[in-house]
Amino acid sequence: MRKLWLVAAAAVLSLAVAQTAPSLPSYSGPPVTLTFWSWVPGIDKAVAAFEKAYPNITVNASNVGSGPNEYTKLLTALKAGTGAPDVVQIEYDFLPNFIDFGGLADLSKYGADKYSSLFVPWTWSQVSPQGKAVYAIPQDTGPFALVYREDLYKKYGLSVPKTWAEFEANAKKLAQETNGSVQYTDFYSTYAPWFMGLVWADGGRLWTHSGNSWTQSLNSASAKKVIDYWGKLVDNKYAATLPDFTSELNSALAKGQITTLIEAAWGPGSLASRLGSESAADWRAAPLPQWGTDGTFHSGNWGGSSTAVTVQSKHPDAATIFALWLNANGTALGLNWENGGLFPAAKAGLDLPALHDSSKNPSKFFGGQDIAKVYADASAGVPTDFQWAPWFLYANNSFNKYIADAVAGKTGWSAALDAWQQDVLNYAKTQGYQVSGQ
Amino acid sequence: MGWSPARAHPTGRVDDAKTLYLSLFTQHGIRPKVFTGLANYVRVLHDGQFLSSLGTIAKFGVIQIPVMLLLALALALYLDGLRSARWRSYFSLSFFLPYAMPTVIGGLLWGYLYSKGLSPFNQMLAPLGGQIDFLGRSGLLWSLGNIITWTWTGYNMIILYSALRGVPGELYEAARIDGATNLQVIRFIKLPMVAPALALAALFSIIGTLQIFAEPFVLGSLTFVPTNLMPNLYIYFTAFNYGNFNYAAALAVVLAIITFALSLGMLALLNFQRRRL
Amino acid sequence: MNRLNASAVTWRVLVLLLSLYFLLPLVWLIVSSTKSTGQLFTTFGLWFASPWHLLDNIRGMAAFQGGVVGRWMLNTAVYSGAVALLSTLFSAMAGYAFSRFEFPLKTVLNLMILSAVLLPITALVLPIFLILHDLGLINTYWAVILPLLVNPLGVYLMMIFWDQGFARELQDAAYLDGADEWRVFWQVGLPLVRNGLLTVALFSFVSTWNNFFLPLVVLSKGSLYPITLGLAIWNSTAQTGASVDYPAILVGALISVLPLIIAFFTLQRYWQAGLTSGSLK
Repeated sequence: MRKLWLVAAAAVLSLAVAQTAPSLPSYSGPPVTLTFWSWVPGIDKAVAAFEKAYPNITVNASNVGSGPNEYTKLLTALKAGTGAPDVVQIEYDFLPNFIDFGGLADLSKYGADKYSSLFVPWTWSQVSPQGKAVYAIPQDTGPFALVYREDLYKKYGLSVPKTWAEFEANAKKLAQETNGSVQYTDFYSTYAPWFMGLVWADGGRLWTHSGNSWTQSLNSASAKKVIDYWGKLVDNKYAATLPDFTSELNSALAKGQITTLIEAAWGPGSLASRLGSESAADWRAAPLPQWGTDGTFHSGNWGGSSTAVTVQSKHPDAATIFALWLNANGTALGLNWENGGLFPAAKAGLDLPALHDSSKNPSKFFGGQDIAKVYADASAGVPTDFQWAPWFLYANNSFNKYIADAVAGKTGWSAALDAWQQDVLNYAKTQGYQVSGQ
Repeated sequence: MGWSPARAHPTGRVDDAKTLYLSLFTQHGIRPKVFTGLANYVRVLHDGQFLSSLGTIAKFGVIQIPVMLLLALALALYLDGLRSARWRSYFSLSFFLPYAMPTVIGGLLWGYLYSKGLSPFNQMLAPLGGQIDFLGRSGLLWSLGNIITWTWTGYNMIILYSALRGVPGELYEAARIDGATNLQVIRFIKLPMVAPALALAALFSIIGTLQIFAEPFVLGSLTFVPTNLMPNLYIYFTAFNYGNFNYAAALAVVLAIITFALSLGMLALLNFQRRRL
Repeated sequence: MNRLNASAVTWRVLVLLLSLYFLLPLVWLIVSSTKSTGQLFTTFGLWFASPWHLLDNIRGMAAFQGGVVGRWMLNTAVYSGAVALLSTLFSAMAGYAFSRFEFPLKTVLNLMILSAVLLPITALVLPIFLILHDLGLINTYWAVILPLLVNPLGVYLMMIFWDQGFARELQDAAYLDGADEWRVFWQVGLPLVRNGLLTVALFSFVSTWNNFFLPLVVLSKGSLYPITLGLAIWNSTAQTGASVDYPAILVGALISVLPLIIAFFTLQRYWQAGLTSGSLK
């Protein structure tokens, strides 16, 4: 008898849940063709599945380059008033740039705002910064986790750090044991978003926007805390400064000269692909170390893209439907994970069996560990109020300059942030933005 | 005359005009544009980043161009003096090869040769204690100079070598009859004959140097390259990353004027050399 | 007669070392094409490692996006061939005019030709894009070919070669024989400046082959990409964390360079010395 009640309760509950998740819209207009720019490998498979589900919409997908290359073309086309695609992939940190440029359509006009509950909350605030207009649909995310070599930890007697204090203690111990020949971790000095993600994890905000004015605090207390911490690691040589994605880093990793990395959700897949069979099955993932010891968990985010619709699109309604389906439909999410390694922003995607398949990379590269769970938990812990600015790219580029000076010992780490803040503030002002510091 | 030289340049004039036009406006994103006349140009003259990029390129060019052209000339003379066709063939192919390499590949290769850990040079130096940071702040310009010289020496050599091959044989016969030594042949026949081509190579080297873009751009993915290292790089970032096409157009026009001024000198020299022949 | 003395040998050795330095990239490329991903950064870059993975890499390259690399090679051949042919022709004609004739506005035109290269391509890209769009040529072969027909270096080079290779006496002799301007240019003159034509054609061919920036901006259909653009885009996805068959890209790069080497060798056979010697007799 009890079992029946349980089953009934479960049925009612799931019905309730199903009711709150809106079903994706259908298309009842005339046949249209959309152009779509995306650099996600294998996106054409998801596109083909979409065309089957929506026979009246044809989508022509092109890879016109990743990141900056695509943005070059997009900017040119938007400025020229012609030649921009209907649908386009844009990373979260570049969205304000294109929103401010005036190039993106407001999807709330086509019903997109009804679907916010399908996505992890912080991703929705990325695509809808002011909470009203919706400029894109979240696609994938890059929450942070700790990634480490289990074999090396065993060899040198290290335990998985839960706090940054433990992280630093590990680094010191390793330096002593190996006389500096093996370094604990690597500091990605040429990737500002990596650093920004760590500030994000601490609850720091680099930019806030209200109405027409902005506040910028690249040298906030939080940012300084993070940079001083890593600066100390670099100065003590506990952390290397090899740039990400280079052969140099790959070589060091393969030779076991670096034991731990802070990586986004797409990091494991990248490692698996770059390292081939070197160090396979030795890696593990763990939650990002925390600043506090009271048990609250926060993570930050590095990377991730959204799917936007340009103002030049003649079929924004169909384009919105495509953007929604591509990033919320179960089949599409599965295909994007398998072919493109996209760690989904959609809640439903996080439960996909394919993500947790231990027989395939990246899980396989991590010895079969269910790293998707670590990253899903991380995603849940990302603060929702972090914002980017339209001049993000300038900040990104100039970060490299000031940090290079700090790495070389020419300036202090906090001082580098101060100089960075001033430089970017001046730039934004000359571009005509109403922005103040701190 | 049945054909006009201008026919050979279908889009040249219109592009220049449009760029000029763009530079007279200011536009925020795709909001309506505002006519601001010479305001962009005033900004250029006060743009510290742009001015320092000009300083960098001047320092760079003053060393790199003469070194490259002298090397190209020496190699062209050497090749011209070789009797063995096989050696000529091998050498001219190997000098030409760097130019034939796409910049993407060149970037990957130099990334490898310049890397701190993996570079064969550094691996050889390691036991001796030193490690050269080729792509560090102080080494970057020299490394770039090396890449550019390596890429374009062969190109210039081919221009000069082609010109040398066109020297009429009877000039050599006459010199032989007069008992001239090899050095005299070079000094009195070859060098004068190759002078116009050399002036031409110098002209286009100056223009090319002022417009260096691809090499530092590719290096940007391997190390920190300041966005204002070279003028053209700065123009690219202004236009395509910050979306400020109008200001970029003004920068480009100013660069073009500077290029033009420097070219006039070379062009005059070129015509002078041609008339001497 | 080879005079084997110390000085000649020293020069030979020096130049040989220099040539090896220039050959480095080809060596690195060939060697890297035979390696697997892991071998790429664990073995010495300038020499082979065993086992070889060349066949795997070739297969990876051929399989990419259903064999699109072949299509890219074809496109590149079309772009380079068309530009080389047309721009060499235009340069020869323009160079001829500058070399032979005096006409009003000659200096002005001279400067106008130079001005075509004064504005850097980074600034010209937006206007070029706009013009091509107005002409309806975006995403066609012409989008790449048309802008590249502008070749001031070619014009000036041809001018020098015309000066050097086509003596006035010869030209006058041809007029006396009753030939019109076109025949003098085409039948009498062109063969004499063969060196120049081949040089200009070679440069034109190579620079078009390797041109990356223009196609990036004017093309957005993968099926029209030239191979350098295609490879660069393929390579850049490695930085997004997606899995990329890095050695396959390198094999693609190797294959993309081979036609240039072949073109160079083919053209070399037609370079000759002292073409005008004896032609007045």
